[in-house]
Amino acid sequence: MRSLLLAVLAAYVVSAIHSVLAFVNKRRVLQRVSDWAMTIGFVLHTVALAADWFIDGHYPLFSFPETLSFLAWTMVGGYALVRFRYGTYALGTFMLPEVSFLVFLALLIGSPGGAQQLGFSGTWLFPVHTTLLLFAYAAFFVVFIASGMYLVQERELKLKTFSAIFHRLPSLTTLNEIATSGAAIGLALLTIGIASGMLWSSSRYGVLWHNDPKEVFALLTWLLYLSLIVYRSTAHWRGRSAAWLGVAGFVLVLFTFVGARWMGGYHVFG
Amino acid sequence: MSIVLVGVNHKTAPVEVRELLAFSEAACAEGLRSLVDGEVVREGLIVSTCNRVEVLTATTSEQIPQSHERITNFLNQSRRLPQDLFRDHSYSHIDDQAVRHIFRVASSLDSMVVGEPQVLGQVRKAYSVALEAGTAGRVLNRLIHQTFHVAKRVRSETGIAANAVSISYMAVELGKKIFGSLKGQSVLLVGAGEMAELSARHLINAGVSRVLIANRTEESSERLAKEFGGEAVSFEKLADFLPEADIVICSTGADEYVVTANMAREALNRRRNRPAFFIDISVPRNLDPAIGGLPNAFVFDIDDLESVVSSNIREREREAERAELIVNSEVMQFQQRLRVMEIGPSIGALRQKFQDIARSEMIRQRNRLGPLTPAQERAIEALLLSAVNKISHPLIDRMRRSLDSDDENIQAWRELLDLED
Repeated sequence: MRSLLLAVLAAYVVSAIHSVLAFVNKRRVLQRVSDWAMTIGFVLHTVALAADWFIDGHYPLFSFPETLSFLAWTMVGGYALVRFRYGTYALGTFMLPEVSFLVFLALLIGSPGGAQQLGFSGTWLFPVHTTLLLFAYAAFFVVFIASGMYLVQERELKLKTFSAIFHRLPSLTTLNEIATSGAAIGLALLTIGIASGMLWSSSRYGVLWHNDPKEVFALLTWLLYLSLIVYRSTAHWRGRSAAWLGVAGFVLVLFTFVGARWMGGYHVFG
Repeated sequence: MSIVLVGVNHKTAPVEVRELLAFSEAACAEGLRSLVDGEVVREGLIVSTCNRVEVLTATTSEQIPQSHERITNFLNQSRRLPQDLFRDHSYSHIDDQAVRHIFRVASSLDSMVVGEPQVLGQVRKAYSVALEAGTAGRVLNRLIHQTFHVAKRVRSETGIAANAVSISYMAVELGKKIFGSLKGQSVLLVGAGEMAELSARHLINAGVSRVLIANRTEESSERLAKEFGGEAVSFEKLADFLPEADIVICSTGADEYVVTANMAREALNRRRNRPAFFIDISVPRNLDPAIGGLPNAFVFDIDDLESVVSSNIREREREAERAELIVNSEVMQFQQRLRVMEIGPSIGALRQKFQDIARSEMIRQRNRLGPLTPAQERAIEALLLSAVNKISHPLIDRMRRSLDSDDENIQAWRELLDLED
C-alpha cells in the first residue's frame, strides 16, 4: 500500500505545483496538467483506501496516518465538487499543497500496524462517526480558504490597490456562496457526526458525553458554525464579518482535530 | 526567398500622413495587382488600418533593393504622396525583421493600446483580400498562417489582453469582481456624462438587465431611457431608488454630494447587506467618499479608476515582454521553415536529375543487351535506380542537415550540383 500512496503523493505534488504555476502565469496548459494529475491521484488514492479496507479488513480510518490520508482524499473530493459547481480554479492552488502535505505526513508517520486495533470497528456507528466528521472538516477547510480569499479581495477592493493575485481570484459573490454552502454542509455533517459518536459511546460505555477536550472543542466548533449559519440566513450577514468567522471557525477545527490530541482525553486518534 | 516590408504606423507618422496612405478594400486589391509583377515583387499583401499601413511582400534575395524601390514608388504614385514626406515617416524591414514586425503587429504588440483585439481581424481581412487578388503565394501563405498561430499563442499564453485599460470598461471589470456575473444586476445612472453613458453601454453588453436613469432635466432622462431600454426615475427621489441599484454610476455637474453617506447607509441597510458598487466619474465628486468606509460598499472615483487603468497598462507591458519571447522563437522557426521550402525543390530536382541520368543510360545501352523478358527489363531498371538513389542519399541527407545554417550554403549546393532555381 505504501508504494501506491507514494504514487498518490507524487500525483498530488505534480498537481499542486502546476496549479500554483497556473495561478501565477495564468496558463491553461498548466491548469490542464494540474487537473489530470489530480484526477489520477484521486483515483489511485481511492484504490489505495479501498485496498486498505478489503485487504487489511478494517475501515481505513483508524490510526492517525490513516486519518490524514483519508482527510486528504476528502479534501480533494470537496475541491472537485466546488470546481464542478462554481468552476473556480483558484481554490485548488491553495488546497492542493495542503493535500500533498497531509499525504506526505501520512507516509512519514507510517502505518503502526494492527496492534492499536482495539475492536472499535465492531459496530457500524464508529466508521460513520469518523467519516462524517472528516467530511465536515474538509467542508470547513473549503469555507476557510474561501473566506480568506474573500478577505484579501475585499481589502484590495476597498483600498483600490490590486496585487498580482487579485485578477486570479473568483468574485466576492462566488466566494460568499462557496463559504455559505460549505458552512451549511459542514454543520450538517458535524451534527450527524457528533450524534453518531454519542450513540456509539452510549451503546459501548453507556454514557453519551465524556467531557474530554476533543468533545468540548467539537461542541464549540458546532456552536460557532451554527451561529454563522443563523446569522447568514436570518440577518443576511455577509461580507467581512462572516468571512472572519469562517477563518476563526477553522482555527477551532484545527484545535479539535489536532490540538485535543495532545491534551489527553479518551479520543485516542485523529 | 526574402520578405520585404514597408510601412508607416502611429508611432512614425502623424494622422495627416496616415490618412493619405490609407487603402480602402477595393483600392487594396487593385493596388496589389499593380504592385505584384511576379518578377521583382513576387507576392504582396497590404494591411491598412487607421493606425498603420503595411506593405508586406516576398521577393528573391538578390532583388531586395529593387523590390524596396518598387514598393516605395508604388506607394508614392498610387497615393500621390510627396517623396520626402513618405521617406521621413516610413520604415522598412527585411527578412527576420519583417517577419518579426508582422508577428508583432498581429499579436497587438505594436498597437497603440497593447493587447487590443481588433488588429488580428484586420490582418485576417488583408490576407483574404490578397488571396482574392491572387497576390498571396507560397511564401506569404506560410508566413500569414504562422502569424495567426503566433497571435493565438500570445493571446492564450500571456495576459496581454487580460485587464481593462479604459475607464469606461473598468465598471464591467470591477462589477464582475464584486458580483460574479452581471446578468440580472441593475444599474442606476445619476446624471449623464459621456463617460457614464459609455460605461452603461458596456454594462448592458455584459448582461445588466435593468437600467435606471435619474437626471435633473426630465428630457435627457427620457432620451437615455429610450436609448438604453431603461426607466427614467425622479432625481428628487433618488434615495428611494438607491437600494434597487447594484451599480451606481454618478456623473452630474453638481458641486455637492448627490449621494451622501447617510443615503448610502440607508440604502445598504435596505439592501440587506448585498454589496453595492459606486462609481463616481464627476469632478467635483458627487459621492461622499465616506461611503467607501461602509461595509459592503465599494466606491471608485475617477482617480481610482485612472490609477487602476494605468496599473493594468503596466501589467500589460510586463506581459508584452513575455510575448516578445514567444515572437522571437517563432521568428526563428519561420526562418527554418522558409529554408525547407526553398531547398525542397532543390532536393526534388537533384533526385530527378540522378534518375534521369540512370534512365538515359539504360536507353543508350538497351540495344547491346539483346532480347530480354519484361521482368528482366524491369529488374535492370530497378537496379540502376536503386544504385543511383543509394549514391545520392547521403548527399541529400547532408543538404537537409545544412538547412540549419545560412542561405549561402543552399546557394553553394545549387552551384555545386548545377541546379536551376
